[in-house]
Amino acid sequence: MNCELAHERIVMAAYGELPDDETHELDRHLATCTECGQEREQMQALKLLSSAYPVEEPNANLVARSRIRLEEALDALPPTRWFERLLQKLRNNAASLQSAPIAASLLLVIGGGVGSLGGYFVAQNHTARTTPTTSIADVSNKAVDPSEGEVANISSIERQPNSEFVEVRYNTLVPRVVHGSLDDQYIRRLLMLASENASSVGIRGSSVGLLASECRAGHECQPEGIRDVLMVSLRYDRNAGVRQKALEGLQPYVAEDVHVRDAMLEALLSDPDPHIRTEAISILEPVEADTSVRQVLRSVASSDHNPRIRLASREVLSRVPAFQ
Amino acid sequence: MAATRAMEKPDRAQELMQARAPEMELIRQAQAGSRVAFDSLVRQYEQQVLRLALHLTGSESDAEDIYQEAFLKAYRYIGNFRFECSFYTWIYRIVTNLCLDQLRRRKTRREDQAVVVDHSGDEIDILSSVSDERSFSNPARELDRKVLGIRIQEALGKLTPRERTVFELKHYQGLRLRTIGEMLNTTEETAKNTLFRATKKLRSQLAGLRK
Repeated sequence: MNCELAHERIVMAAYGELPDDETHELDRHLATCTECGQEREQMQALKLLSSAYPVEEPNANLVARSRIRLEEALDALPPTRWFERLLQKLRNNAASLQSAPIAASLLLVIGGGVGSLGGYFVAQNHTARTTPTTSIADVSNKAVDPSEGEVANISSIERQPNSEFVEVRYNTLVPRVVHGSLDDQYIRRLLMLASENASSVGIRGSSVGLLASECRAGHECQPEGIRDVLMVSLRYDRNAGVRQKALEGLQPYVAEDVHVRDAMLEALLSDPDPHIRTEAISILEPVEADTSVRQVLRSVASSDHNPRIRLASREVLSRVPAFQ
Repeated sequence: MAATRAMEKPDRAQELMQARAPEMELIRQAQAGSRVAFDSLVRQYEQQVLRLALHLTGSESDAEDIYQEAFLKAYRYIGNFRFECSFYTWIYRIVTNLCLDQLRRRKTRREDQAVVVDHSGDEIDILSSVSDERSFSNPARELDRKVLGIRIQEALGKLTPRERTVFELKHYQGLRLRTIGEMLNTTEETAKNTLFRATKKLRSQLAGLRK
């Protein structure tokens, strides 16, 4: 067993995650290796020191406050309508019947659901013919000046006692346009918001692409600003193209910023897109002296399900000098 | 007389009945829309949720927010719970990911780790909160322990959000690496590597304290 593997196993053993045969192997190594013996002592010291920040029970006031706030929020939720509950019940029943080849039961559940929905729509149509309906849109169009913008949400409703008058507080969406340079802080802030919040992949891609280009050009790519946003996109965006752009934007900082390096390592280990994992390998190659990087490369070289990626990792590792 | 007392407090009687119901039945009732059943589930897990959120974020206010979001999410999506794992694992996964999001959003305060934030958002200087009434014990040792606790928090704050979360779940909450991987939607191997990096960083951060 080499010392690097021993260091990893020391951590696993400290947390009871090492199988018995590996524990035995580790003990044999520790009996002869002073350096690893010290490593184990350091790990034990860490566990001891960490106890200076103990996990404490939340105090009663915090529990009570949290509970009251939750109850108020639950009370404010609109009640679930009967057909929504029925649909959910049908879904639950369908899921539990999935492994049971009882087609008749499944047909019965589906038939019952369809029938209930059909009845609901008939009832809705009947009500529509007999009662004038007033949609929220109609009310909002009458009560709100269009120049105020579309109603985003209702924040409170209060009725004056013994009166027909009500006060409704609401928030509106007002479309706006802004022009400016990529160096403008407001433009940057909007781009950062777009990278996280936009529902359109095109908008997220454009914003991440622009932010990445700023980082590659070295234009104020601060750790707690754009760099952080790119790391979030790399870790969490659903679209591989957006994640690719984020990866490329972070490349210049992989040597100097350990957080960027960690984000690259995570991408290498867990990104579902093989192109991104391959590019992460080439970006990490200049920092292959980092023990964590080598460990991850080793892991990928043996366990990635893509053979090209396993090969690329092995090639990088083979270029690492035997002694650092 | 006993019947009258029971009638005067029907909610209390219902609470007692709910507390004894098996958890699966509670979940089914909550899925069917029973608020009482959902409240019982909240009471069963609220301590664990707050304990984890409080220790991970170090802030009562953040812990309260995470509690709120976690249980609202649970309420909204309890219909999707399929009994493929325990409810404990399910809610813990929600809380863990909310804590991870919170750690990412928050700005670290490296310049003053002696400050924590209470529920109203006010800052408390830990060092000034050492009570004079404790002078009968060893005040120097008490202060040392508090300072050490602050240094630990500072070192934990320098980990990435994911490292911090994995370390918390493994070291402080005692979960298996496989469970941690499932909660963070990754593999056991990734969780292991993350733990290894976290312990390595912490050891180098805290090296000076071991003398």
